[in-house]
Amino acid sequence: MIILLKKEWLEMLRSYRIVWLPLLFILLGISDPLTNYYMEDILATVGNMPDGFSMTMPELAPSDLLIASLGQFQMIGLLVIVAITASMISRERQNGTATLIYVRPVSNFSIYMSKLIAMALLTLVCTIAGFGASMYYTYLLYGGVSTTAFLLLMLFYWLWLLMVIATTITFSALWTTSIAMTVAIVLFPLGILLDSVIGAYWHYSPYKLALYGASWLTTQSDYLWGTCSIVVAWTIFVSLLGIWATGWKRSTTKI
Amino acid sequence: MDTLNWALIAPLIVIQFVLMIMALIDIKRIHATNGPKWVWILVVIVVNTIGPIVYFIFGRKNV
Repeated sequence: MIILLKKEWLEMLRSYRIVWLPLLFILLGISDPLTNYYMEDILATVGNMPDGFSMTMPELAPSDLLIASLGQFQMIGLLVIVAITASMISRERQNGTATLIYVRPVSNFSIYMSKLIAMALLTLVCTIAGFGASMYYTYLLYGGVSTTAFLLLMLFYWLWLLMVIATTITFSALWTTSIAMTVAIVLFPLGILLDSVIGAYWHYSPYKLALYGASWLTTQSDYLWGTCSIVVAWTIFVSLLGIWATGWKRSTTKI
Repeated sequence: MDTLNWALIAPLIVIQFVLMIMALIDIKRIHATNGPKWVWILVVIVVNTIGPIVYFIFGRKNV
């Protein structure tokens, strides 16, 4: 298990994942506070507005900007995370690394969990880097929010990401990279879009966890704990499924 | 625009630059990429932020 984790760590270093993914999140995190702050200047320079055009800018509270950053993470950040997670197990099966692991006495549990733990740590770093950067800029330009609310916001966002990666790794254990990636992209980044369009009709949806987590900043949502338990239950379920799938593929491999 | 605070913008530019340099160094060192190397170099330099990210996800040939 420890050795497998070390191997995952090495792979993250070699693919520079540990560096560029947090950098991307930092970039996404600071883009919203900055563009909103300079919106008037940007419109004046490139907006092509007629003379005398005036526009009242909404007064933004610090929490609005953190939620806007959250939206950025949910679109681009999530897409990137899903894209790199979807190949974690299936690629090893394709290029033969998996066979090398299968002949050694390691449990299916260790194979699956080493991937999950590695990605969980990476996404934790991303969450902290992204929200940290967003908070820093928001604090400089707009003002602060309560520390507990901010920490809880990050915690719940990470919980949501944990569900996303657990599900995606399970898909990766079940299918080939391309199928896993397609299904995961339809399920998560597109699922969020769908949920935000027609999601007003239901309250308990895993997609809303991050948003409910953000509600600590303003008023606490009534649906937070219900949604949270759905997410945790689903994460445990897909992890078990993933461990089973790893074993199933292992038993069908010819050595 | 005179009031533009460069201390605020600088990190944005630095991060984009770091991503670009990292991608370029990796293209130089890696054995082969998916598709011709010069196309990736062009993509990484011309398309800022998204270029290096797309390279890191799809351009690297994982052996």
